Amino acid sequence: MSDAAESTGNGTASGSLMGARQPQIAGARLVQGQAVFAADVSLSGMLHASILRSPVPHARIGRIDADAARRAPGVEYVLTGAEAAQLSDPIPHYLDPAPIGGKHADVRCLAVDTVVYAGQPVAVVAASSPNEAKAAAELIEVDYQPLPHVLDAQAALAPDAPRLYDGWDDNVVLSFGQKAGDVEAAFEQAEHVISGSVSVQRSAASPLEPRAYVASWNAASGRLTLYAATQNPHTLREMLARSLRLRESDVRIITPSLGGAFGSKMPSHPEETLIPLLARLAGAPVRWVEDRRESLLVGGREQVHQFEVAADGDGRVRAIRNDIVGSTGAVASLPGWAMVLMAALAMPCGYNVQDCEITYTAVATNKAPWNAQRGFGKEAANLVMERIMDAVARQLELDPAEVRRRNLVGADAFPYTTATGFVLDSGDYDAVLSDALELFGYEDERRRQRAAREQGRHLGIGVAFEVMPEGGAIPGVGGGFDSATVRINPSGQVTVLTGVTSPGGGNDTALAQIVADELGAELGEIEVVQGDTDVCPFGFGNGTGRSVVTGGSAAALAARDLRERLVSVAAVMLEADVGDLVARGGKVVVAQEPERAVALGDVARSVVTLSHLTAMGVEPSLEASRVYRAPHVNHIPDEQGRMNPYPTYGNAAYAALVEVDIETGTVTPVRVAVCHDCGTVVNPLLVDGQIQGGIVMGLGVALGEEVAYGADGVPAVTTFAEYLMPRAADVPEILITHRETPSPYTLLGTKGAGEAGLAGAQAAIVSAVEDAIAPLGGRVTELPLRPPAVLDAMDRRAT
Amino acid sequence: MSQQVQIRLRVNGDAHEVAADARTLLVDLIRDELGLTGTHVGCRTGHCGACTVVLDGRVSKSCTVLAAAADGAEVTTIEGLAADGVLHPVQEALWQEHGVQCGFCTPGMVLAAAELLAENRSPVDDEIRRAIAGNLCRCTGYENIVNAIRRASAS
Ligand code: FES
Ligand code: FES
Repeated sequence: MSDAAESTGNGTASGSLMGARQPQIAGARLVQGQAVFAADVSLSGMLHASILRSPVPHARIGRIDADAARRAPGVEYVLTGAEAAQLSDPIPHYLDPAPIGGKHADVRCLAVDTVVYAGQPVAVVAASSPNEAKAAAELIEVDYQPLPHVLDAQAALAPDAPRLYDGWDDNVVLSFGQKAGDVEAAFEQAEHVISGSVSVQRSAASPLEPRAYVASWNAASGRLTLYAATQNPHTLREMLARSLRLRESDVRIITPSLGGAFGSKMPSHPEETLIPLLARLAGAPVRWVEDRRESLLVGGREQVHQFEVAADGDGRVRAIRNDIVGSTGAVASLPGWAMVLMAALAMPCGYNVQDCEITYTAVATNKAPWNAQRGFGKEAANLVMERIMDAVARQLELDPAEVRRRNLVGADAFPYTTATGFVLDSGDYDAVLSDALELFGYEDERRRQRAAREQGRHLGIGVAFEVMPEGGAIPGVGGGFDSATVRINPSGQVTVLTGVTSPGGGNDTALAQIVADELGAELGEIEVVQGDTDVCPFGFGNGTGRSVVTGGSAAALAARDLRERLVSVAAVMLEADVGDLVARGGKVVVAQEPERAVALGDVARSVVTLSHLTAMGVEPSLEASRVYRAPHVNHIPDEQGRMNPYPTYGNAAYAALVEVDIETGTVTPVRVAVCHDCGTVVNPLLVDGQIQGGIVMGLGVALGEEVAYGADGVPAVTTFAEYLMPRAADVPEILITHRETPSPYTLLGTKGAGEAGLAGAQAAIVSAVEDAIAPLGGRVTELPLRPPAVLDAMDRRAT
Repeated sequence: MSQQVQIRLRVNGDAHEVAADARTLLVDLIRDELGLTGTHVGCRTGHCGACTVVLDGRVSKSCTVLAAAADGAEVTTIEGLAADGVLHPVQEALWQEHGVQCGFCTPGMVLAAAELLAENRSPVDDEIRRAIAGNLCRCTGYENIVNAIRRASAS
């Protein structure tokens, strides 16, 4: 690229869309209910599926009698595990624990001879209507021969615990330890050694849109098209090619609009293999839509941390030990189990503690499997670090905010390698904390808190720092880069084809802004196409706050290439020097003589119609394709075996105010203030939206959301009447400010904001509740903090 | 064979006559028989509000209503709200204030908020939050939805 082209219209000119509060480009369709979600896809002759699920947590399957179901009205096909096992292969694992020292279990779309969790698919019916399919599925008789089950991770680790999988010598999926520095010496020399624990409940990502799949086979070509509510269509394509024994080129995944995902729509769920298989056998397209009971089966987060901290008299943390045990449910092909691993790797977050010993164990239990949930375990690392900071503050009788300040990584320390090998890229954590405290009114609130206590009211103030590694690249899985093609047509409309998908946060708008700026096009001329594996370039879809960091950068590069070509053709058309031209507002303009201009569409038409005249200096192409690979990733282990899988680390500080009714245990959140640093902000409207949504989800997991199981091994929480997601009236005042320290390692300086909010809000609310009940000797060790748990916490006198 | 019933109703001003299974829910009739897929399904238990429609002048959760019970009714779905391509002020405000992210809860939110504003032209925030308390949103944290409804009330 020539210097001249680099300097033309590269997004810094006035009228730039970078940083603009731009409402979503799809907004008009969304507010009119015109967006098409997977469950809205309707194909001619389409059948409907209903899945029969195991009612018990662990059993051998004896005889299955499906005769009555096959004879039921409207039924076209009934598929059971034995037949499915003949016609399909195990579903490949998103991240198999076996190659990294863990255990493997085959996962099939239907249970074959054993069920290992209540809710596991056992059989499926295709019928003319959903009601007929459901009625027929209920007619299938299955002989379950019960086996003992285990629900709790600690119990599952006992030598005589029931085993989930034949051939496993225990229920451990993966166990690993990591040690950096001289932990023993630090503990020996420490002035204070404090221990504690925190246990996090099982929760569900529970997007408002349940999963849905519509499978259709082309009889002539033998190709499968699957309309899927998935975050990662290319990854899913390869998985399905394997499980369904197809050529990958014979699989097309189309992701229509997604109604939220938060990790739960990462691949591959059993139904993603099951529904295409059923459609092939039934000889007709098949639609399956998850119901809420099924949606709430998809779990995560349930884990216990036992920590020990060595601290100096001034509140400086010298060393940390933490042992994490995660109850990851039955083995799945989903990435969720690895959240336990990431909880360990993400420690000690933004704190400068080089002596760390962290062990973790992911344990299989007879609960439904985990999938990813926003935060991907990094929120648990943040939570335990904040519990540690509070424990130190309490023991040393220091201000909790001050303890954090004394331990945060300094602004002059970047790039900073953590004890676990993450390389924090940039930021000013101390300033972020100060800004959050100021926005919150920390000193005033402390005064109000003291005054309120004298009146018998229990206000609590919590502080938390969040470091959120984003844009992850996992060896053997992928990520860390993405692809884009930018096209213009002779009418001047621009199409962006991208490998990233949007779960509903609006990253298509961010991509359009970036391309409009780079290309000098009008935003209204830009269309973003996502989620179709036949059309879009290879990419890793959505997850780990990656869409703008990788996909946005790839789109920027492709748009620059295309602009360079168009500008050079425009130079011929305008008889001007390339160096005198800028592309802006849908035109290429002579910067000093704005009346000399040509529309981008006219340039595009000239490229293709006058390819041997005006376009002799360039390839006569109207598109450019680029890949952006984030450079700040290291997959070569250092001498301690550590890697840096994340190119950039968003960070934020939170302060929360709650009021606790000590008679009833009710917690009322009053205010959450945050200062956030996601580097360059492409669109503050979208970023703040992510943060607000994340904060409220964090509030939910701190205070209410839990998927409890009965002793019988069956989920006791199956509807929104029991799964208590925050409603509008439950939400406190939310204040947001930003501190932009652009990442020096990403193309646009962005750091990712897709997972912002949850970790910090969860930790700050927990901290605030403990602060409120601390004068009564209360200690928080168990989440969620529903009223009975708060009353319990007041009886607890843990250290 | 389950019992079939004849259902006559007006939806967004258009008269329809549909033969349906007696167990059919109004939400399924709207989505599957009439093809109006802007009415969403988030729970089927009456807790999320994604299926909200206006039934004889009142917002109702269409997953809790048998289609047969809507015989003779007047129904407005999200598709019937914008007049001649002009967005309702609530729709416009939700878009501009980024009170819509994925858009799955949005049709229900729009109808609930439109009813509130029809009855109360200048609601305070508490009233707004109460009016949408039956509508879950998992994406926005409600902040921008409340801002949008306040903005729409001022317009
Ligand atoms: S689908 Fe009707 S309230 Fe949730
Ligand atoms: S915008 Fe996604 S559920 Fe409300």
